[in-house]
Amino acid sequence: MGRLPLEGLRVADFSWIINGPQIAQWFATMGAEVIKIESQTYIDIGRTNPAGMADRKPGMNRSGFYHALNYGKKAINLNLKHPKGRELAHEIIRRSDFVLECFPRATAEGLGLTYDAMRKVKPDIIMISVSLLGKSGLDPSRWVGWGPMACAFVGLFDAQGYAGGPPRQTGGTWPDYAVASTVVFHALAALRHRNRTGEGQWIDASMGETVIGQMHEWFTDYFMNGRDRRQWENRDDVMAPHNTYPCLGEDKWIAIAVGDDEQWAALRGAMGDPEWARDAKFADQYGRWKNRDAIDARLREFTRTRDHLQLAAELQKAGVPAGPVLDSVELHQDPHLWEWGYWWKMDHHEVGERILPGMPVKLSADEKLNYSYPPDLGQHNREIFGGLLGLSDAEIKILMEEKVIY
Amino acid sequence: MAKAALDDLKVVEYAEMVSGPMCGKMFADLGAEVIKIEPPGCGDEARRHPPYPGDEPHPEKSAFFGYLNTGKKSVTLDPATASGAEIFRKLVADADVLIENYPVGHLARLGLGYDALSAINPKLVMASISPFGQTGPYRDWQGTDLIAWAMSLTGYNTPTLVDDGERENPLRAPGHPAEMMGAANAAAAAMVALAARDATGRGQWIDAPCWQATANTAKLEMAAYSYVGIPFSRLRANVQVGLEPLPCRDGYIYTLWAAEAHWRALKQLLGNPPELDNEIFDDLAGRHENDDILRTLIRGELAKHDMDYLVTEGQRLGLTIGPVHTVEQAANHPHLAAREAFVDIAHPMAGTIRMPRTLVRMTATPPESRRAPMLGEHNGEIFARLGIEAGAQAGLRAAGVI
Repeated sequence: MGRLPLEGLRVADFSWIINGPQIAQWFATMGAEVIKIESQTYIDIGRTNPAGMADRKPGMNRSGFYHALNYGKKAINLNLKHPKGRELAHEIIRRSDFVLECFPRATAEGLGLTYDAMRKVKPDIIMISVSLLGKSGLDPSRWVGWGPMACAFVGLFDAQGYAGGPPRQTGGTWPDYAVASTVVFHALAALRHRNRTGEGQWIDASMGETVIGQMHEWFTDYFMNGRDRRQWENRDDVMAPHNTYPCLGEDKWIAIAVGDDEQWAALRGAMGDPEWARDAKFADQYGRWKNRDAIDARLREFTRTRDHLQLAAELQKAGVPAGPVLDSVELHQDPHLWEWGYWWKMDHHEVGERILPGMPVKLSADEKLNYSYPPDLGQHNREIFGGLLGLSDAEIKILMEEKVIY
Repeated sequence: MAKAALDDLKVVEYAEMVSGPMCGKMFADLGAEVIKIEPPGCGDEARRHPPYPGDEPHPEKSAFFGYLNTGKKSVTLDPATASGAEIFRKLVADADVLIENYPVGHLARLGLGYDALSAINPKLVMASISPFGQTGPYRDWQGTDLIAWAMSLTGYNTPTLVDDGERENPLRAPGHPAEMMGAANAAAAAMVALAARDATGRGQWIDAPCWQATANTAKLEMAAYSYVGIPFSRLRANVQVGLEPLPCRDGYIYTLWAAEAHWRALKQLLGNPPELDNEIFDDLAGRHENDDILRTLIRGELAKHDMDYLVTEGQRLGLTIGPVHTVEQAANHPHLAAREAFVDIAHPMAGTIRMPRTLVRMTATPPESRRAPMLGEHNGEIFARLGIEAGAQAGLRAAGVI
């Protein structure tokens, strides 16, 4: 294996659950040494969530929720509530380029994980804080919460539903992942700045503000035109038809998006040029956009009796942008995701062979990123405390007994 | 004036609409010189995309374009012509980064693929953003934001907790979420490649697909299948414990009461109603088992209280609870004002438009958005720098190259 792009960098990673671990996973897979600092006093709940346990058998090293977000890293135990634990954390930070944390503000302050404290330990440190709504500002900067709460706060859920209906929840924990890639970009820009000037800094990332940037047109439309778009369904500002349509089977769907006359002609052809589609009011893009509900009703009749996978392939072949809505089984079997290299297989000493999501980007010079197996709890205690910090086995043993390395 | 982290970088952006331009904006807001190549005549398709001030379409007034292109320089150029391709090569010859989001193989067909460009400029980092990626069976599929989104598990699972699997079709999140994820991944990977280049002197080619970017936002939901063997379902009937906005007296709140401490806080917040004092809710397993009964009771109790009380008091008690705002409420929220989450950007033709400010806060090198360029605004400056004199520029303009 050649040199990975971020080799030589070190991250002191105090983060847990989703957004921080996803940030750290970028660093780790790209070659930085990520030291994930966990403790029996606050175990990453990714390790303990019963919903992720391989074959439903509980165990600290068995959770898919943890494995999917933490491969490539090194894990140590360190009790930050113990004064000696703090000292050792500072020793690691002195040897690191980045400090990463995603605690609620009060917790971070209580553990001494603030930028003011960190820069005293290492003046040129780049500190990354991720939170719901930022770690400065008014009361909401002190709230406890997780990704979806950020969407709720900034209006995304209200814009998410069906016309006239209640606000609905976007699937998964979207803002955690959105903020993660965004932070990696800005953190590496901060590294460039540090390398040029010797100056470190604090990155204070808000999941809410990242989501606001992603739905910018909702905000500019409101500020310019006083319009709150509310529930927008699958409408596009330009394209029509532009929606998801039912297919054969339970809860099977296809997405179709027509952006110009050529694609509309292709869709008509694929449907066998039915009478209704020849209507003059559908002839140009604006006409289709105005009459999108009428088109959708007809299209649903067409798609309902067809297989979503087969129809998507047929429409694509005909020149119509379309894609099947895939469930978790279909995604795990999808030939494109395998051939492109998204999935990877691990043969883990406790959970056996499992499929894990890889990185969603490829770098041409680095065919193989660091996909070392997700660490067991405390797996790298000896390597980090002994190797990096130079403690003897006897010293480590005492620190374990004192519940410092714990 | 604050320092800029990336003011030593030159970025060429050959991209339209959302994914490539958003990636370019991230560089421009940190001070990189971003030269945006637009098709002569009509420019980036985003210029014809709403919203506009007063809903009046105008290619220099789209706030959609205005947000995605802050701080860039615009040149018009058609690289499909021989002289246009030559100018493209000159622009890229000393660039640090090239961002592009055209269909797979488009640049290579113009003789401007990664191999050709890296031969001219071995230090070049090229970031290609596409719906499905540069390789694999779907690479030539036509994708849009909706399609890349809908094909992911996050797309399938939006909205969550569906009662009527016939009528409630999967929805896209507001905006262009899949392209935004692809843009952020491309920007992050480009910075990774630049860090490597500073050590090795060699650039590389980044493949950043929007579908994989969106698929990757459902890691836990996908792991539930690989680890527990449960195919993920969005249908309420198949979900044991689901989360969703819940109505209160004057709006909606969003909360989670899985942990023991949260459950106690929730009961206290609601005034310890006797209905919740039932042994079947005493432990997590019981609460999961009886989630439908519990949820009905909680909905009844929440309806008696205002959003402000529930959120303020709930947070004080340590409950994870927050408001479900409309965009209007968020746009006027004092916390976001205190964070300066929005900024007024003045533009000579569009006027002053308030926009989301920047994605993250940085203390030493804060990102800063400056106005978007007008179509071809920087032709004179950039082409003169390449040694194309005014007379030659006029000829290229007449030929439709610039």
